[in-house]
Amino acid sequence: MLAIETHELVKQYKNGVRALDNLNLEVNKGEIFSLLGPNGAGKSSLINILTTFYKPTSGNVTMLGKDICKEPAWVRTQIACVAQHISIDEHLSLMENMMFQSRLYKVDPKVAKIRINSLIDIFELSRYLKYPIASYSGGVKRRLDIAMNMVSMPKILFLDEPTVGMDAMSRKAMWEMLLKIRDEYGTTIFLTTHYLEEADRLSDTICIMKDGKEVVQGTLKSLRGYIKQNMLCIAFSSTGEAKKYKGILENIEITKFADVRDNSVALGVDDSRASFTMVNKWLLEHHVAFYAIEIVEPSLEDVFLALTGSEENRGGDAYDEYFVEKYKMEI
Amino acid sequence: MMNILWRNIKWRFENKFTIIITILQPLLWLVLYSAVAGSTMKDTGITNYTAFILPGVMFLVTFSSCTSGGIMNFLMKSNGSFYRILISPVSRSSIVFAQMLESILVSFFEVTILYVVSILFSVNINSGILGIVFIAILIFLLAFFLSGLAYAISLCLPNEVVYETVMTAIVLPIFFLSSALFPPENLSGGLAVAVKLNPFTHVINALRSLIFREKIVFSEVLPIILLFVLMCCGSYALAMWRLKKETNV
Repeated sequence: MLAIETHELVKQYKNGVRALDNLNLEVNKGEIFSLLGPNGAGKSSLINILTTFYKPTSGNVTMLGKDICKEPAWVRTQIACVAQHISIDEHLSLMENMMFQSRLYKVDPKVAKIRINSLIDIFELSRYLKYPIASYSGGVKRRLDIAMNMVSMPKILFLDEPTVGMDAMSRKAMWEMLLKIRDEYGTTIFLTTHYLEEADRLSDTICIMKDGKEVVQGTLKSLRGYIKQNMLCIAFSSTGEAKKYKGILENIEITKFADVRDNSVALGVDDSRASFTMVNKWLLEHHVAFYAIEIVEPSLEDVFLALTGSEENRGGDAYDEYFVEKYKMEI
Repeated sequence: MMNILWRNIKWRFENKFTIIITILQPLLWLVLYSAVAGSTMKDTGITNYTAFILPGVMFLVTFSSCTSGGIMNFLMKSNGSFYRILISPVSRSSIVFAQMLESILVSFFEVTILYVVSILFSVNINSGILGIVFIAILIFLLAFFLSGLAYAISLCLPNEVVYETVMTAIVLPIFFLSSALFPPENLSGGLAVAVKLNPFTHVINALRSLIFREKIVFSEVLPIILLFVLMCCGSYALAMWRLKKETNV
């Protein structure tokens, strides 16, 4: 059964901006669904509509079989949303925040206490109970934010860039928790993220959006197959060297695109085997000092870049960080 | 509704300075201004000038308390709880009522402090217990109206600074163009019309009547209650409309 289904969804703001343009999405129950897209793709507008905050201009949204425009009150009982910015009342204690949230969702006080204790354990918050919220680190606040939103045991949990600003360790711990939420509670998780590695590690289904439309939706495997991208990766002694040859390599006629990743240049080509020979020959003939050349599988980045256009659309630091991390592992 | 009210009261307790800030100016009016201006008002037949300006100062403190209630919208928007509450299964009316009720409770608290202070200046409510009940009703209606208005205005404006400026720009003309500080009988021309058209003049007059007269003059009090009930309906409708507009962009 589908948890969320949108059909020809349009959101046009009063200032004329068309944030969503006939968007069609399908989210299965109990899966982690990641929404990717460059800045301005319409991700936040979509979350705001799905969480009943904004009304769509036209189109249909069905959530757990019910129309969200006709039954927003019922839909609100079934969902929770961890917003982009941490939403905790700092004048309340950890326990008071959890209780406040449970009362917002009319959870029976006895049930709420049991759930709160269980969530405090799952999210490893017990040692922070006696401290004021203001003294918590960003990572702990984010964990509390998610724990609070789980108090009502929502059928669908929306997470808008949940790991922004977290260090690598906290981010990985958060991924474990999200997987736990899906597996232990059967919660459908709908998340938007700028970290492609996050989508890569967590998602059952990925949707890439651009200009308010879905560009492609499917499993990571199917997305890789979707672009059928052949790629070569040429490693150099340094990033400087890689940057130096990037400009030259992207002007070779077989190259569809070139991208510097750490100390390597990734080339998108049509036929990886033929291109491998040709580029290898070209490098040797031009006495280019390279460390290695290999045929590589497209990453989610490649899918993303190929489908959303250019590097201009990349989300900045988040992508750069990912490139560095991922290619360190691959090379 | 009680859940949000509890949370707002907790916020108020954690931020006690908001009570001090809102009561400080009215308290100064009550203590200092009445002492200084009282001597010049003896010729007008006002026996106790502190008692005379108490209703106007009650209006001022109620306005300040309700204005500080509107500030909560900005804080809630900046910490994300505004969005979190709006997507929860709490009715829009409960959200608005809870916030207005908190402002009303703060208003009552501060009005009580003013009254206790004014007792030190020999202020007495001559109409007795029933008079106090009517004063409470009038203060409730006044606070209800002002908190709804403050709620709606706060949702129209971009930040706290603009909001505070706008609210100050509203309260001062209303305060000075009312019978808060002087008997309006001697006014003439445009000023007299402006003071008469100001609904707060009438609520101040009604409160004053309850303080000074031993018998409650219902013909002076009941029409004002009716007027403010209508104004409260309008203010609540405005607050609800503005909240709904937040999600209709």
